[in-house]
Parts: sequence; C-alpha cells; structure tokens
Amino acid sequence: MMNYMKSERYRLMRKKSLHITTVICLVLITAAAAVLYFSGQYESSFPYATSSFFYSNVIGNTALILIVALLFNLALTGKDMSLIKQSVSFGISRNTIFWSKLILTLSYFLVVCVIGLLLMIGLGENLFTSEEHSVRYFLIASFNMLPIVLSGFFMIHAMKMLKVSEVYIVIMLLFIFVISGDVLRTLLKPVSGLDELYHYAPSTQLTENLMKFMGQTIHFEISYWITGIVISVICLLIGARRFAKQNID
Amino acid sequence: MNTMIQTYQLTKTFKEDEVIKPLDFTLRKGGICALIGKNGAGKSTFFKVLAGQLFPTSGHIHLFGKSGEGAVQARKRMGFMIETPEFFPDFTATQNLEYFRIQRGVVEKKRIYEVLQIVGLANQKRKRFKDYSMGMKQRLGIALCLLGSPDCLVLDEPINGLDAEGIREVRTLLLKLNQEKQITILVSSHILTELQLLAKRFVFIKNGVIVDDVSKESLDDKSRKQIQLKVDDPAKTARLLEQTYEDIDYKVLPDDTVTIQNYIEASGEINRLLIDNGVLVMEFRIESLNLEEYFLGLVGDDR
Repeated sequence: MMNYMKSERYRLMRKKSLHITTVICLVLITAAAAVLYFSGQYESSFPYATSSFFYSNVIGNTALILIVALLFNLALTGKDMSLIKQSVSFGISRNTIFWSKLILTLSYFLVVCVIGLLLMIGLGENLFTSEEHSVRYFLIASFNMLPIVLSGFFMIHAMKMLKVSEVYIVIMLLFIFVISGDVLRTLLKPVSGLDELYHYAPSTQLTENLMKFMGQTIHFEISYWITGIVISVICLLIGARRFAKQNID
Repeated sequence: MNTMIQTYQLTKTFKEDEVIKPLDFTLRKGGICALIGKNGAGKSTFFKVLAGQLFPTSGHIHLFGKSGEGAVQARKRMGFMIETPEFFPDFTATQNLEYFRIQRGVVEKKRIYEVLQIVGLANQKRKRFKDYSMGMKQRLGIALCLLGSPDCLVLDEPINGLDAEGIREVRTLLLKLNQEKQITILVSSHILTELQLLAKRFVFIKNGVIVDDVSKESLDDKSRKQIQLKVDDPAKTARLLEQTYEDIDYKVLPDDTVTIQNYIEASGEINRLLIDNGVLVMEFRIESLNLEEYFLGLVGDDR
C-alpha cells in the first residue's frame, strides 16, 4: 500500500490542475476579503465589512466547498482512473487503490482547508472590524461543519471510484447537502415520531450552524458529527465493497 | 514451478453473453504461445481475467501455482499489456515509468533507463506521452511490462499500429526476451504471419472455446498439405465425397473451391472418382497452408 500511495503522491504533486484550483480558491478568498474591505472603506454605512460576515461566507457555502472537494478528488479519480487497470494487472489490490486515492486526496484537501482557514482568519482579523470571539465562533462553526464536509468528500470518492458521472455526483450532493432537510420535513410531517428527523439532515444542520454562528450562539454540536459519521461510514462501506468486486475495463 | 498460468473451467459472462465458455488452459515456462481468434472470440476478455481486471464468472485461475490472493501477488512476477497501454498524457516516458517504478517497488531507478533502452525509446525519454506515435506507445507499454523483471509476459496485440520496421523490432525484442532472459510469453495478434515467426505454440479460440492447441511442429505438419479443387459442380462433388469417404474433412469455399484436409494420400483416387462421375475438374492442386489459412479453415472466414 505504501508503494502505491507513494506513486500516487508522485502523480498528485505533478498535477497542475490541482495546484491551479488551490491557488484560485485562495485568490478568491483574498478577493472576497478585498471587496468587503474596500466597500467598507468607501462607504461608511456598509454593514458587511466585519470579520463575522466574512467568516460566514465559508460557514454558509458548504455546497461550494463540496464542489471544490469534488475537483480535488478528481485529481486522482478522474481521467487517471484509466491507469488503474495496469496497477491491478501488476498485483495491486482494489482495496489498496480505493483507500490510497482517498487518503491522498483527502490529505491534500484538508491541508488546503487549513491553509484557507488560516488565510481567512489572517485576513478577517487584520482587514475588518474585529468582533469579540469571532475567531473562536468561526473555529467552532468550522469544526461543526467538518464531519458533514468530510462525509461529502467520502461520498464523492465512493461515487467516483464506482464510475458515477460528475453530473450525478453534483445532483446527489445538492440533494443531500442542500435540500435534504426540506424534503424530509415535507415528506415526514404527517408521520408521528419521524417528523423531527429532518433535524438530522445535513442541510438542516448546516443552516442551523450558520444561524447560530451569525447569532453568536454557536457551540459544539455532537449531532453534526453523528450525521457526518453515519453518512461517511455508509458511503465508504458501499464504495469500498462494490469497488472491490468491480470489473475494471 | 514450471506452470505459469493455469485455468480450470474458467468462464466469463457479460449479462446473457457467455464470452468465455468453460476454458482449461495451461502455460508452462519456456516458449512463446500465441492465442489466435477472430475479433470477439474472447482473447482480450481472457487476458483481462488473467490480469485481474475482470472477475471470472466461474472457474479458477492459478498463477505460478497460486490462486486467490496468492494469484494477486503472483501478478507481480508478470507483465501485462492488454489493448492500448494507458499512461499519463502529460508525463514523459521517464515520468510515467517512474510512477510505475515507485508503485511496483522496483528499487533501482536505473531500471527505467534499462527498459527504455531495451525497447528503443532511450532517445525519446523526455518526450511527452501524448506526443508519442502509436508504435512508440506500444513500445512504452512493453517497457512497462519489463519494469518489474517479469518471468512471464501477456501481450494483447503488441504490434498493433506498428509499421513494418516496428513490427520487426518488436518481434526481435520478444524473441530476445524469450531466448536470452527466459521470459515466457503469451501473445495475441491479428497479424498471423508475425505470430508464425514468433510462437512455438498456437492456441486457437473461437466463441470463447479453445478449438485447437498445437505446437509449431504439429502445425507445420497439420498445415503441410491439403487438396484444392476447382470443379464445375461443387454440390455434386460434396455429395460424392461424403458418399465415398465417411470421415472426409472438406470445405466448399465461397469461390466454389473445394478443399480437402485429409485423404491427401488418396488424391489420385479422388480425382478419378470425380471424373468417373462426370464432374469437370478444372484445377486439382495439393497445397500447403500458412497459419492464416489454417486459422480460417479452423474458425471460418466470416471475420
């Protein structure tokens, strides 16, 4: 497994599109900060030149983060998948391929997330009116988001390894992480005992997380982790089991 | 361990289509074996099952005497090139081989240059894969197979897309690998004349079934002679032959030529039989077959 991971790292580090995506993400964060900063400078009544509002752009944009996650995952599960038939021929097991690609793309994604968070905090605290505890609230909100974002990443990985097209992946992501709460609320409203289930839907939790962050009532929520872990385990189990039995042609 | 590949009752079915029917095959250490069949006969599917890319529907595969997880590990001693080799288009030959060198745990980096030298790509090592010609891509595929110093190579259409010079080079290379490095080779190609120059054993596959398995000597012997007749009435000829010789092996080709594979020694008798029964024999020849003709006689000419 180590040899396979090393070879994939060799590939990953030479993937220009991945590095360009990373740079674009960081530039967009900086550009967003610059727009808010200059708007605040030129218009004294501009209410959004605050660190909380700046941070909320991340807390409230999980869909965008998941699209970035998809792009990062594609670095090793996109066109490169055509090479795995050779790896299999040379005695690399499907399990090794599945987990190695996941570990590497996830590691890169997490490193970029950390860099992004640090950049945001650096920009937020230096360019904007600093609000009390805003960094702490931002970090708690981000920590609450983490399992749900990771579950999205695992879902993307499992589907990509099973050759699901990007269009269907995006539709699934939108369904689960953007509208699942509303769908569950509508469908289960008449069912006594299940009518509160929508609180565990990722989209509901992400909205709650944003609202609590904006209302400065944010605290660590175990339920977000439960949801994230459940989705992650399901996606990874199904993905790994089906990939291990999949013909590679 | 003399047996490199062994399959028992191996089958592969795609939905309702049984591409490989119960197939027993053994490849022993040593020579070059050619797998011959028409398009869709099941050659590539068989190779893919051997390579672990496809799971068999039933049956067993033993590689170097090992099955299951052992067979997965045994593939490290083999080199597979099935259909078009896949590489990273933006990587150079060296980078592509470096990726696989790391992956296969080949310690010595210089092995990359050795295999590039063997396949004649040492001067093109800095060129990106996407800029390679088809022939160069094939050669890089062979280089990849050689990277792990395999004991056995499985090559599906390795001379596909090569020009005459390239074909000759690959043939020389494969013979050299077989003779000097004692690498056992299982190869398929649609250029049968090349296989005839290369292989010591010929396995014919039709609709997923092995229909013949002959050594070069036996093939030479089998394909040595056949009677070719040009007659005015092929139907009557067929009737007469069937009535006179119970187990006669004959074919009526689309151009009304009748070929007879056995009873070569009775050729005069056959000639007299036809003339005595009023069949006009315009041409009567005893011909020897090449591999292609033998193949067509065996699996039909409807390709």
